[in-house]
Amino acid sequence: MVWFSGPSKAGWEDRLHPRLGLDLVGGTRVTLTAVTKDGNPPNAGDMEQARQIIQTRVDARGVSEAQVVIEGNDKIVISVASRADDAIKDVGQASRLFFRKVIKITDGGEPAAAAPTPSAAPSAPAAPQASATPTPQASGGGGSAAQPSATPSPTASAAPAATPSPTAPAARADKRILTEDELRKKVGDQPWEAAKALTAPPTDQPTIDLLKPFSTLGEEFEVAGLSPEMQFNVPWITCVKLNKRIPGAIQDPAQRAVACQGNSKMYMDVAKVAGTDISNAAPQIDQQTGQRVVSFDLTGPGQNKWTDLTREAYNNSGDPKCDQTALGDQQRCLVAVVLDNFIVSAPEIQGVLTSSSQITGKFTPQEAKQLADNLKFGALSVSFDEAEHKTVTATLGAEYLRAGLLAAGIGMLLVIIYSFFYYRLLGSVIFLSLILSGVLTFGMLVFLGKVMGFTLTLAGIAGFIVSLGVAADSFVIYFERLKDEIREGRQPKSAVQRAWQRARRTILTANAISLMAAAILTIFSSGPVAGFAFALGIATLLDLIVVFLFRYPIMAMFANTPAFLSPRVSGLGRVMREAKETN
Amino acid sequence: MSSGFASRLYRGEANLNIVGRRKLWFMVAGGVMLVSLLSLFIIQFTLGIEFKGGNEFQIPTKVGSLSQVEQAVDEAVHRANPGVGDIHAGQQIGQGASGVYSIRTPQLDDEQTKAVHNEIVGKFGLDTNEVSDSRVSSSWGKGVTDQALISLLVFLAAVTVYLILRFELRMAAAAVASLLFDLVVTAGVYTMSGFEVTPSTVIGFLTILGFALYDVVVVFDKVQENTRGITGSSTQTYAEATNLALNQTFMRSINTSLVALLPVGGLLFIGAGLLGAGTLKDLGLVLFIGMGVAVYSSLFFATPVLVWLKERDPAIMNHTRRVLTRRTAAAKARSEAAKAGAEGTSAPVQKKVAETVAPKAGAKPVRPSRPGGQPARSGGGRSGGGRSGGKKR
Repeated sequence: MVWFSGPSKAGWEDRLHPRLGLDLVGGTRVTLTAVTKDGNPPNAGDMEQARQIIQTRVDARGVSEAQVVIEGNDKIVISVASRADDAIKDVGQASRLFFRKVIKITDGGEPAAAAPTPSAAPSAPAAPQASATPTPQASGGGGSAAQPSATPSPTASAAPAATPSPTAPAARADKRILTEDELRKKVGDQPWEAAKALTAPPTDQPTIDLLKPFSTLGEEFEVAGLSPEMQFNVPWITCVKLNKRIPGAIQDPAQRAVACQGNSKMYMDVAKVAGTDISNAAPQIDQQTGQRVVSFDLTGPGQNKWTDLTREAYNNSGDPKCDQTALGDQQRCLVAVVLDNFIVSAPEIQGVLTSSSQITGKFTPQEAKQLADNLKFGALSVSFDEAEHKTVTATLGAEYLRAGLLAAGIGMLLVIIYSFFYYRLLGSVIFLSLILSGVLTFGMLVFLGKVMGFTLTLAGIAGFIVSLGVAADSFVIYFERLKDEIREGRQPKSAVQRAWQRARRTILTANAISLMAAAILTIFSSGPVAGFAFALGIATLLDLIVVFLFRYPIMAMFANTPAFLSPRVSGLGRVMREAKETN
Repeated sequence: MSSGFASRLYRGEANLNIVGRRKLWFMVAGGVMLVSLLSLFIIQFTLGIEFKGGNEFQIPTKVGSLSQVEQAVDEAVHRANPGVGDIHAGQQIGQGASGVYSIRTPQLDDEQTKAVHNEIVGKFGLDTNEVSDSRVSSSWGKGVTDQALISLLVFLAAVTVYLILRFELRMAAAAVASLLFDLVVTAGVYTMSGFEVTPSTVIGFLTILGFALYDVVVVFDKVQENTRGITGSSTQTYAEATNLALNQTFMRSINTSLVALLPVGGLLFIGAGLLGAGTLKDLGLVLFIGMGVAVYSSLFFATPVLVWLKERDPAIMNHTRRVLTRRTAAAKARSEAAKAGAEGTSAPVQKKVAETVAPKAGAKPVRPSRPGGQPARSGGGRSGGGRSGGKKR
């Protein structure tokens, strides 16, 4: 009663305080809306799976007691106690990862504007020539003038592009990807046929001008409806536009796809290795380059596929072969790491890889961890639109918190009264130890709140107060032992010693079981159960610390005072008298 | 001053014959267990919104205060479906003009949802589309429950191994049996209370895991101490030594339980009952039942089960037979001595000896008191008597 009313009333706005849960202080509510290619809601099974994966991701981000529910049939609502949105940013990201061999590369910038300029150079405004491409010739076959492409450096560059980019709501009257016929109508027959006939990005200005209507297509649902070849060959489909396709636009592993790295538009083969082939992933620092990477292990079959893919890229065997435009410094093919709609990196394959590998990219520490987590916990089979954040108020609020604390306080007061009644002066040892345990537990909660985001709900607070009552049990065991010893006629000093030795065994056994329960629940459970068990385990440890470092020394001290033996004060007096009578 | 029952109980000398009446305790435990299982299967858990999902109504904040809205929704929901559980405490989402109150209710079917929707719209004079309703899934997925169950099983396995190492096989079996008893009865009583199962309930339930074995460990520790090397002497059967341990730890168990139950009781009766923090009631109830049952089972279930198991151990069986044989022999000898005394055969001296030794199971006066002979029988009596002299108060 004493220990928590101070901090609970005065402290929690300005001083150290544990993080309180959603039910007590409110928090943030994030709504993710599913988007699908056909505009229909995703099926219920996929939604539930997505909910679970998102829950795991939120939990892994150190946001405990997060609540994730499906609302209606296409929304996932995440409620967390924290007000900082960063913590749960991007949890709705699908994180579907594919490894695709890069077949061709072209510039993804806007082509030089229409007719007036007679120049045939399709030079893009942003220094397309600047690249240090070692490409010896223009190119073979049809891709004659794909030259201005900015070939990506083998070690990757694009940021991992974690955010599903914001979309213009205006372009979304009809929330589904348009069919080819509809698109054909939009751009007109002539440009459509011309685009269809292309085998490589055109270099002559008339063709480019003819294709101009493609620039009017809306990014989200219209560009995404074009075939990969058109997306690649029509210069008006710029990287800016490609990056705005709806989430999940290129998630079919059996189809070729186009995506961008920086300003390079890459035409990629079917996905031969997928995120599902990854068994484990972790953020790391590359020892040689000092770069942050995400290393991953593959499953057995996944490893075979990966080895095959890297062999194909290394030897440029396979069908189709990589175009000249898509070869790296050492004339090897690139393999793009495609996360949702974006290329994380597209390194040149330097050898046939038969063991675990790394994804390089310009990661911040958080991004690296997030990518690793997302790979580890699995991809969502549903894609979600940009999240909507809103604040929510507490469901219970301060008055409930006070009611709960008061009730538990009264309960604790009863314990203390009982122990004073039953053990007299020894009750004060219980009292002091309870205060100490309380302060330590409180400190631990503050610490855990800061370090691992442990949040306390009303139920959690109640649980802790109960655990303090259980902690008081160890006193009873000890004091009853002490009485036994004194009854057997021992002097208080040696009785304190002997009773301690015997009670210690019992207390350790009992606490070991509690600790075991806590550890097992923490390891094998998830969500609120694991969080609560972890904290309860720490509370048990604190109890042991108090027992060993506080109670025993203080009892040894008491044993030296005359008051200890006085029947009025110590509660042992009667026992001692009886001991004298019987002996 | 020190002869009252409470005082004897306090000193562990109350001589409550708990182990001796184990048939009774088994019957009680069996009955309670049966009722609990029946209740688990027939009444079943009422799962809360967190497990089953429900509906969510969003009502613009302009209509008034949150508590008014909560009350209105509660009434509407119970009118639409009288048998449904409580609504959840509401929340305000967003601020200002676009702010809405979000209230989650237990699962309603389409018709009921419509009825509630219409009633709220009518009551606050809103447009139909100003109130939105949608279905909300469970937030506590099956995965969490499954994992919690897996960890429960792992815990049971681990704690059994630990108890076997720390005590012995039969004690481990008895302790785990009593833990299972606690869990089943707690779950059963909880279903009978008709309270909803919420995440707090599950958390409370798992808190019991550690506590339920606490008392058992305390009692078994004493049992182990009392029965160490028991087969080496013939004065006490295992059951008696165990019963003594129970008596000696009786007050200790009562005390530990009281100390642990007081805060929980405070939570349950004051927090949930008087102050109306309703969410505390499920946690408080599950802890209160669980801890209460744990106290009962550590005294009246775990130890009797232990004795029952032990009596199947050949070594203990032999030992018990030996002790009892000696005791009957002694008793027989005593009664015959008394008879002999009455017949006036031999001396008051022997009678006196018989009396003084009587309370101890040993029996010295056997041989002289049997004038009729059968010396073979008396051998056992003598040896027993010799050893029984070793017992001191």
